[in-house]
Parts: sequence; structure tokens; C-alpha cells
Amino acid sequence: MQELEVRGKLRDWIAKHAKKPLTAEFGDETPVLELGILSSLDVVEFVLFIEDLRGGDVDADDIGPDAFTNINTLYSAFFARS
Amino acid sequence: METATELATRLTGASRRKAWDVYSAFNWTASLEAGRWCMPPELISIYGTPAYEALGDEQKKRLSLFEIGNFFSLVLQGERPLVQGLVHRLYLNSSSREITEYLHHFVDEENKHMVMFGEFCNRYIGKVYPEKKIALAREYAKGEEEVAFFCKVMVVEELGDFYNVLIERDERVAPLVRELNRVHHIDEARHLAFGRLHLAELSARYLFEWPAETLAGFGAWLVEYLRASWGDYYNPTMYRDAGLADAYEVRQMAFAHPACAAHRQRASAKLVKYFVKTGLLAEEPLL
Repeated sequence: MQELEVRGKLRDWIAKHAKKPLTAEFGDETPVLELGILSSLDVVEFVLFIEDLRGGDVDADDIGPDAFTNINTLYSAFFARS
Repeated sequence: METATELATRLTGASRRKAWDVYSAFNWTASLEAGRWCMPPELISIYGTPAYEALGDEQKKRLSLFEIGNFFSLVLQGERPLVQGLVHRLYLNSSSREITEYLHHFVDEENKHMVMFGEFCNRYIGKVYPEKKIALAREYAKGEEEVAFFCKVMVVEELGDFYNVLIERDERVAPLVRELNRVHHIDEARHLAFGRLHLAELSARYLFEWPAETLAGFGAWLVEYLRASWGDYYNPTMYRDAGLADAYEVRQMAFAHPACAAHRQRASAKLVKYFVKTGLLAEEPLL
């Protein structure tokens, strides 16, 4: 899957599960947890979606909360290395 | 009415009378009895859905092995932070000596549960399913972190106990699986008695001090935590290991299916009523 497609799918998932409507400024640098767009408990569901997208399990022991800062960090942590 | 300190004294006595050795309590056979269920079919996470009906008898029984492995794993994973939190609360000035004494037993018993669940999972499914929850730092109101900790204790233990009781009684299930559930239930009955009373005392102490906004926010978090905890029961990796295709889609379908939602409501009823009664939830949520 191409990088742009992955980023698009991550964005769509966030939009679908957002606690508040995304503004026009929402982008790959927007902090999703800090702004309350997603909660820490959404992360559990998000991890399962990411596992499905990358076709392999995520080891939560290896992933820190920083990975969920924004779409850029998500892509780096889960897709850039695979 | 009995206080948590008085109850702790009574439970300490019961824990000492019923003490057991996890390393000699079970007959760990090389393999589980062939042809037996490992989880009652009605408790399998996708029971009542077309995905379940499409499976043959052997596939359903194979799925039941991974379902019990997932169940034991999620209880084990819930007990890890529980033990950390309990150890942190030993010998606090704010806790009575009797409570600390009982917490030692609580920790000891939870440790034994992790040993037996870990042994089962490693031996029969080759792994313990990992935790997916990621803890994020946040700010708490006075007493909120303490209340949240014991809410988490109640969620992992009450939901687990609902399954323990039904599995323990079910003669279709492999004897070793029933025995693990029986042993767990006996210890958990004491932990739950303590947890219910202690959390009720904490709630009575702190909730009236919180601004309405804090209490509403806490209730919203608790509902979300309950839903996330239920999410652990629908593990795509478990479906994949059992040989089901499109594991993530199976999870999404099952979580949204009315039969599964009805099961979650039933299994959570006692816990949710308790949360409403203590004022932690304003109303019974849909799970």
C-alpha cells in the first residue's frame, strides 16, 4: 500500500472516531490526543485497525504514547519501518 | 454496616484458610482432551452471528480453545497493572494496617492467577495475547486516580467472574479449564467483596467534592473504559489463530451485532448497576 493511501486511511479512521468534528486545518501534524480528537481508550481500537492495515500485530511494549501524536508519527512508527 | 477495614480482617482470615500452591494445584496434561469445548459455545464472542453459524462443529471447538486463551490472557493482562497498583498502595498512611495486611493476600492471589493463566496459554496456545491499551499521563481531581484504579479493578474482576462462574459449571468444558475457572472464582469472590466496599467508601469520600463537570467527565471515561474492555473479548489475532478469514472484519461485525451487544449488556448488568448505585455513572449505558 502506498504512503498516501495509508495516510488517507489513517485520516479517515480518525475522522470517523473523532470526539469532535475535524476542522479545515486538520492535517498530518495535528495532535490528535492532545486536542482531544481521540481519547487514550480509542487507541486500543486504533491499534487493531493499524494491525489490519499493515497486516501484522503491533507489540504495545515497543510502542510509546508518542507514536499516537499525529498522522506523521503514526506513519513513522507503524508503516515506515515495515 | 461493616467497614472496609473490618471486612479486610475477615478476608485475610479466609485467604489464610484457603491458601493454595499454584505450582502443585493443577495436572498440566500434555494436551487438552480432544473433542471437548474449552469455552461454552454461548460464551464464544461471535456466538449468535452468521460467522459463528457458518463454522462446523470442529471449527467451533477449535475457536473455543483460542477464545479461552484470549480470555485468560485478557484477565492476566488486567491483573498486571492491578498488582502494580496494589503494591503501590501497601503501607500507605491513609490505609489501615488491616487493609495493608489484606492487600498482601490480594497481591499474592493475583500473582498466582497470572502464573496459572500464563502457564495455560503458553502450554496450549503457545503464547499470551498482548495488551493493547496504552497508558497516557493525565491530570486528576482529588481522589480521582484512586477511584479510577478501583473502577478498573472492578471491571476486570466482575466481567471475568461472570465468565468464571458459567465456565466452571459447564460439563461440556474440558476439566482443566473448569478447574482454573473454579479456583479463580473462589479467590475473586473475596477480591470483589473488598473492591465493592472499598470503592463505595472512596466514592462516598470524594464524589461530592468533585465539580459536576469532573463527575460527568469521569462517567464518560468509565463508559468508554467498559467498552474498551469489552473490545478485548473480540480479538482479531485470536480469530486469525483459530483459522477464521478476515479476522478484523469478523471483530467489527461481531462487536456491532445485536446478539453480541445483548450478551455484553447481560454480562455487565451487575457491574453497571453497582456503578450507578455508587454514583459513578448517572445511568446504565449501552455497551
